[in-house]
Amino acid sequence: MTGPVPAEQVSLAVELGPLRLEHPLVDASGTFDLLEYARRYRGDFFADFPYAAYVPKTVTADARTGNPAPRVTETPAGMINAIGLENPGIDAWIGGLPEWAALRRPVIVSVGGNSPDQYAAVVRALEAHLASAPQATAPCIEGYELNVSCPNVASGLQIGADPAATAAVVGACRAETTRFVLAKLTPNVSDVTVAARAAVEAGADGLSLVNTFKAMVLDRETLRPFLGNRTGGLCGPAIKPIALRMVAEVAQALPGVPLVGMGGVMSGLDALEFIACGATAVGVGAANFTGFEAPSRILAELRAELAARGFASPAAARGIALGA
Amino acid sequence: MTAKAADDHVHSEQWAETSHCRVSAVRRFGAFTALELVAPRVAKKASPGQFVMVTVPGGGFLLRRPLSLFTVHDDRAGLLVEARGAGSERLAGLEVGETVDLAGPLGSAFPTQGVTNALLVGGGIGCAPLQYLADELAAAGANVTAAFGFRDFRAARCAGAFAIERLWVASEDGAVGRHGTVMDVLAELDAPPNTVVYACGPAPMIGAVQRWALHEGLRGYASLEAHMACGSGSCHGCVVDTTRGKLRVCSEGPVFALDEVTP
Repeated sequence: MTGPVPAEQVSLAVELGPLRLEHPLVDASGTFDLLEYARRYRGDFFADFPYAAYVPKTVTADARTGNPAPRVTETPAGMINAIGLENPGIDAWIGGLPEWAALRRPVIVSVGGNSPDQYAAVVRALEAHLASAPQATAPCIEGYELNVSCPNVASGLQIGADPAATAAVVGACRAETTRFVLAKLTPNVSDVTVAARAAVEAGADGLSLVNTFKAMVLDRETLRPFLGNRTGGLCGPAIKPIALRMVAEVAQALPGVPLVGMGGVMSGLDALEFIACGATAVGVGAANFTGFEAPSRILAELRAELAARGFASPAAARGIALGA
Repeated sequence: MTAKAADDHVHSEQWAETSHCRVSAVRRFGAFTALELVAPRVAKKASPGQFVMVTVPGGGFLLRRPLSLFTVHDDRAGLLVEARGAGSERLAGLEVGETVDLAGPLGSAFPTQGVTNALLVGGGIGCAPLQYLADELAAAGANVTAAFGFRDFRAARCAGAFAIERLWVASEDGAVGRHGTVMDVLAELDAPPNTVVYACGPAPMIGAVQRWALHEGLRGYASLEAHMACGSGSCHGCVVDTTRGKLRVCSEGPVFALDEVTP
């Protein structure tokens, strides 16, 4: 390793497949509502948007009302949530696109469903819309992130826990679009590289990992499950070491496949660790709940952490944890 | 955090930015602690019914805690904390001179325009936003009557934190005020027909107040509480059922029309 470089000489830009990102940080789906911020922001939030790409909350073919309350609570060094993919459905979602057409960042649309057909229907509807929509009535949609953590209607299992089901979802969506396709992998498996390989072989251009860990919290008075959905997804700093291990395993098993690493990123050093494990971009999730300033703070810290270690760019640090 | 950095936050003036606030006074009432914070930004922009997200100091707590604004005077913001779990215990244990981070004011406010007679109905920690509301209504010349209900003697000690001229208190164990619930107090009140009802408390109380107001032909508002993660509309963790569908307590609320909530 060389000595430190001046922070202003660090170039943060990265290429995630065909996507040119100003820096490695993206929001983890469902943790950052662009319109909520834009509505109340003083200034032009579409220009000042802190992430390099926007991953909106997962959209499904039909509207979903989500899970009963309570939906969230804190856990040691983390939190658990069971929101239930509450969203207006793809038709209403498309109807809302003009509201944020001015966003000056690439958008990666998070897609959910309970069967390959449901995922493909979302991609098909959006592609059909984008093919005919007048310019400047939609944001710059450059890719999809297939959220395969939904339960499979047929098997009852998470689609992402079943490599064949994962491949079926990816393949069905691949047939509908030429845009960049990420598969977002679940960590609720014994070997994450199996589903990773299945997704890539079915046509995924890259992989996001990890989604939340299936978990349970009890009400301390009643000793019954606290969440309305009984179980939920665990995230936050508690899961970071496991997420790092999984990102490293996938990076080693599938060299060259672009990865978006995430799981408990709270600081610039956390983000750099995911890059060191092979990630090109890094998702920030629960940290968005700790303060409005989290994305800009984490980005400034990432720049400083790279500079302090003599890395002129994220690419220079990528994968260094994977060697001997 | 240096003084310079703290100043930068103050001047950036964003809606959900974090302010670093010094605790300027602490009063304790059993399980409840009334904190006064030097919070000029929050105080300048706040309206009754709004809340702040408070970072639990000392690390180890990922999520901020949503707390209603209890009082606002000059550059000071007051919060009323009930020690319920480890995080709220830490907040309740704050001492003068310590600093906490808070973001806000957030959420919807109690409408107060043109109100002549106001009836404030609170249950437990839900009474907290009603002090600030009472102060604003009284300053605007409204007649304010408040009725607060508490579970037991320990919870009712919280009543000592309030300064409202016409305040009726009930406790379910009869230790303080009227023996019974806040609904027993309401049954004995003679509310003028133009009274506006403001309710904040547990869901069963909100439901009872809603039915009572409907029966009396009174309109009003309810402030709801929910478990929150982001506090800023992103996560959909705090949604409640309303006649307008599922709405976020942090974003569309916490204040809703009394007749649209479905507690």
